[in-house]
Amino acid sequence: MVFLPDESRSLPPPPLLNKGSLWLGFAGWMSALMDNAFNQRPVFGAGIHRQVLLATLGCVVGYHLVKRAEYVHAKVDRELFEYIRHHPADFQPSTG
Amino acid sequence: MAAGLRAVRRWGLVAAPPSLAFTRSAFVVKKANNAQPNWPGVGLAFGTSAVLWALLIKQHNEDVMEYERRKARAHKCKQCS
Repeated sequence: MVFLPDESRSLPPPPLLNKGSLWLGFAGWMSALMDNAFNQRPVFGAGIHRQVLLATLGCVVGYHLVKRAEYVHAKVDRELFEYIRHHPADFQPSTG
Repeated sequence: MAAGLRAVRRWGLVAAPPSLAFTRSAFVVKKANNAQPNWPGVGLAFGTSAVLWALLIKQHNEDVMEYERRKARAHKCKQCS
Protein backbone atom coordinates (compact mmCIF):
# COMPACT_ATOMS: atom_id res chain seq x y z
CA MET A 1 0.00 0.00 0.00
CA VAL A 2 1.38 3.36 -1.08
CA PHE A 3 1.71 6.10 1.52
CA LEU A 4 0.72 8.87 -0.90
CA PRO A 5 -1.01 7.68 -4.10
CA ASP A 6 -0.57 9.69 -7.26
CA GLU A 7 -4.07 11.15 -7.13
CA SER A 8 -3.22 12.79 -3.81
CA ARG A 9 -1.15 15.23 -5.84
CA SER A 10 -4.38 16.59 -7.32
CA LEU A 11 -5.26 17.91 -3.88
CA PRO A 12 -4.03 21.33 -2.71
CA PRO A 13 -0.97 20.65 -0.57
CA PRO A 14 -1.17 21.71 3.08
CA PRO A 15 0.92 24.75 4.08
CA LEU A 16 4.43 23.94 5.29
CA LEU A 17 3.50 25.16 8.76
CA ASN A 18 0.44 23.14 9.67
CA LYS A 19 -0.95 21.54 12.81
CA GLY A 20 0.86 18.25 12.22
CA SER A 21 4.28 19.63 11.35
CA LEU A 22 4.08 22.18 14.18
CA TRP A 23 3.04 19.65 16.81
CA LEU A 24 5.47 16.92 15.79
CA GLY A 25 8.29 19.44 15.42
CA PHE A 26 7.51 20.61 18.94
CA ALA A 27 7.45 16.97 20.13
CA GLY A 28 10.85 16.36 18.55
CA TRP A 29 12.24 19.46 20.23
CA MET A 30 10.75 18.32 23.57
CA SER A 31 12.39 14.92 23.26
CA ALA A 32 15.77 16.62 22.71
CA LEU A 33 15.16 18.73 25.82
CA MET A 34 14.17 15.62 27.77
CA ASP A 35 17.33 13.86 26.60
CA ASN A 36 19.28 16.82 28.01
CA ALA A 37 17.41 16.58 31.30
CA PHE A 38 17.94 12.83 31.68
CA ASN A 39 21.64 13.13 30.98
CA GLN A 40 22.00 15.98 33.45
CA ARG A 41 22.94 18.60 30.87
CA PRO A 42 21.61 22.19 30.74
CA VAL A 43 18.11 21.69 29.36
CA PHE A 44 17.91 24.51 26.81
CA GLY A 45 21.53 25.44 26.24
CA ALA A 46 23.01 22.02 25.53
CA GLY A 47 22.88 20.00 22.35
CA ILE A 48 21.47 22.69 20.07
CA HIS A 49 22.34 20.49 17.10
CA ARG A 50 20.26 17.70 18.64
CA GLN A 51 17.31 20.03 19.25
CA VAL A 52 17.42 21.34 15.69
CA LEU A 53 17.73 17.86 14.18
CA LEU A 54 14.88 16.31 16.16
CA ALA A 55 12.60 19.33 15.58
CA THR A 56 13.36 19.12 11.84
CA LEU A 57 12.61 15.39 11.78
CA GLY A 58 9.32 16.08 13.55
CA CYS A 59 8.36 18.75 11.02
CA VAL A 60 9.15 16.49 8.06
CA VAL A 61 7.19 13.53 9.46
CA GLY A 62 4.30 15.82 10.48
CA TYR A 63 4.03 17.40 7.04
CA HIS A 64 3.83 14.03 5.28
CA LEU A 65 1.38 12.64 7.81
CA VAL A 66 -0.92 15.67 7.30
CA LYS A 67 -0.72 15.16 3.53
CA ARG A 68 -1.80 11.56 3.94
CA ALA A 69 -4.59 12.48 6.38
CA GLU A 70 -5.96 15.10 3.96
CA TYR A 71 -5.87 12.55 1.16
CA VAL A 72 -7.79 9.97 3.22
CA HIS A 73 -10.40 12.57 4.24
CA ALA A 74 -10.82 13.74 0.64
CA LYS A 75 -11.23 10.15 -0.55
CA VAL A 76 -13.91 9.44 2.03
CA ASP A 77 -15.70 12.70 1.14
CA ARG A 78 -15.63 11.82 -2.54
CA GLU A 79 -17.11 8.38 -1.87
CA LEU A 80 -19.76 9.93 0.37
CA PHE A 81 -20.83 12.47 -2.26
CA GLU A 82 -20.84 9.78 -4.94
CA TYR A 83 -23.13 7.68 -2.77
CA ILE A 84 -25.46 10.65 -2.18
CA ARG A 85 -25.48 11.34 -5.92
CA HIS A 86 -26.45 7.72 -6.67
CA HIS A 87 -29.18 7.51 -4.02
CA PRO A 88 -31.08 10.81 -4.28
CA ALA A 89 -34.27 9.27 -2.97
CA ASP A 90 -32.67 8.66 0.42
CA PHE A 91 -31.54 12.25 0.77
CA GLN A 92 -34.60 14.31 0.00
CA PRO A 93 -35.41 17.04 2.52
CA SER A 94 -38.19 15.76 4.76
CA THR A 95 -41.60 16.94 3.64
CA GLY A 96 -43.70 15.35 6.43
CA MET B 1 48.64 -22.44 20.89
CA ALA B 2 45.54 -20.47 19.86
CA ALA B 3 43.39 -23.58 20.02
CA GLY B 4 44.68 -24.30 23.49
CA LEU B 5 43.92 -20.77 24.60
CA ARG B 6 40.41 -21.03 23.14
CA ALA B 7 39.88 -24.28 25.03
CA VAL B 8 41.13 -22.74 28.27
CA ARG B 9 38.76 -19.75 27.79
CA ARG B 10 35.84 -22.06 27.14
CA TRP B 11 36.53 -23.82 30.40
CA GLY B 12 36.24 -20.39 32.12
CA LEU B 13 39.84 -20.46 33.36
CA VAL B 14 41.01 -17.37 31.46
CA ALA B 15 38.91 -14.17 31.20
CA ALA B 16 38.17 -12.93 27.68
CA PRO B 17 37.44 -9.26 27.08
CA PRO B 18 33.66 -8.84 26.89
CA SER B 19 32.23 -8.59 23.38
CA LEU B 20 30.49 -5.34 22.63
CA ALA B 21 27.21 -6.83 21.43
CA PHE B 22 24.38 -4.94 23.15
CA THR B 23 26.29 -4.39 26.34
CA ARG B 24 26.37 -1.24 28.42
CA SER B 25 28.71 -2.58 31.07
CA ALA B 26 30.62 0.21 32.77
CA PHE B 27 33.81 -1.80 32.24
CA VAL B 28 33.47 -1.40 28.50
CA VAL B 29 31.76 1.96 27.97
CA LYS B 30 33.52 5.28 28.37
CA LYS B 31 31.82 8.02 30.39
CA ALA B 32 30.39 10.70 28.12
CA ASN B 33 32.40 13.89 28.20
CA ASN B 34 30.07 16.81 27.59
CA ALA B 35 32.83 19.40 28.00
CA GLN B 36 34.43 18.46 24.66
CA PRO B 37 31.87 18.67 21.86
CA ASN B 38 31.76 15.85 19.35
CA TRP B 39 32.37 18.26 16.47
CA PRO B 40 31.90 15.72 13.65
CA GLY B 41 28.60 14.73 15.25
CA VAL B 42 27.54 18.36 15.55
CA GLY B 43 28.44 19.02 11.93
CA LEU B 44 26.60 15.90 10.81
CA ALA B 45 23.49 16.88 12.78
CA PHE B 46 23.38 20.43 11.42
CA GLY B 47 24.17 19.24 7.91
CA THR B 48 21.43 16.63 8.03
CA SER B 49 18.96 19.24 9.33
CA ALA B 50 19.85 21.60 6.49
CA VAL B 51 19.42 18.82 3.93
CA LEU B 52 16.08 17.78 5.45
CA TRP B 53 14.73 21.36 5.36
CA ALA B 54 15.90 21.79 1.77
CA LEU B 55 14.18 18.52 0.77
CA LEU B 56 10.99 19.47 2.62
CA ILE B 57 10.76 22.93 1.04
CA LYS B 58 11.55 21.49 -2.39
CA GLN B 59 8.88 18.79 -1.95
CA HIS B 60 6.31 21.40 -0.89
CA ASN B 61 7.04 23.64 -3.87
CA GLU B 62 6.81 20.65 -6.22
CA ASP B 63 3.48 19.70 -4.66
CA VAL B 64 2.11 23.23 -5.18
CA MET B 65 3.30 23.30 -8.81
CA GLU B 66 1.84 19.86 -9.54
CA TYR B 67 -1.49 20.85 -8.01
CA GLU B 68 -1.65 24.07 -10.05
CA ARG B 69 -0.69 22.14 -13.19
CA ARG B 70 -3.43 19.56 -12.67
CA LYS B 71 -6.00 22.23 -11.86
CA ALA B 72 -5.16 24.11 -15.07
CA ARG B 73 -5.30 20.89 -17.11
CA ALA B 74 -8.69 19.96 -15.67
CA HIS B 75 -10.10 23.41 -16.50
CA LYS B 76 -8.69 23.24 -20.00
CA CYS B 77 -10.38 19.89 -20.64
CA LYS B 78 -13.80 20.89 -19.38
CA GLN B 79 -13.62 24.39 -20.86
CA CYS B 80 -15.10 25.98 -17.79
CA SER B 81 -14.02 29.42 -16.59
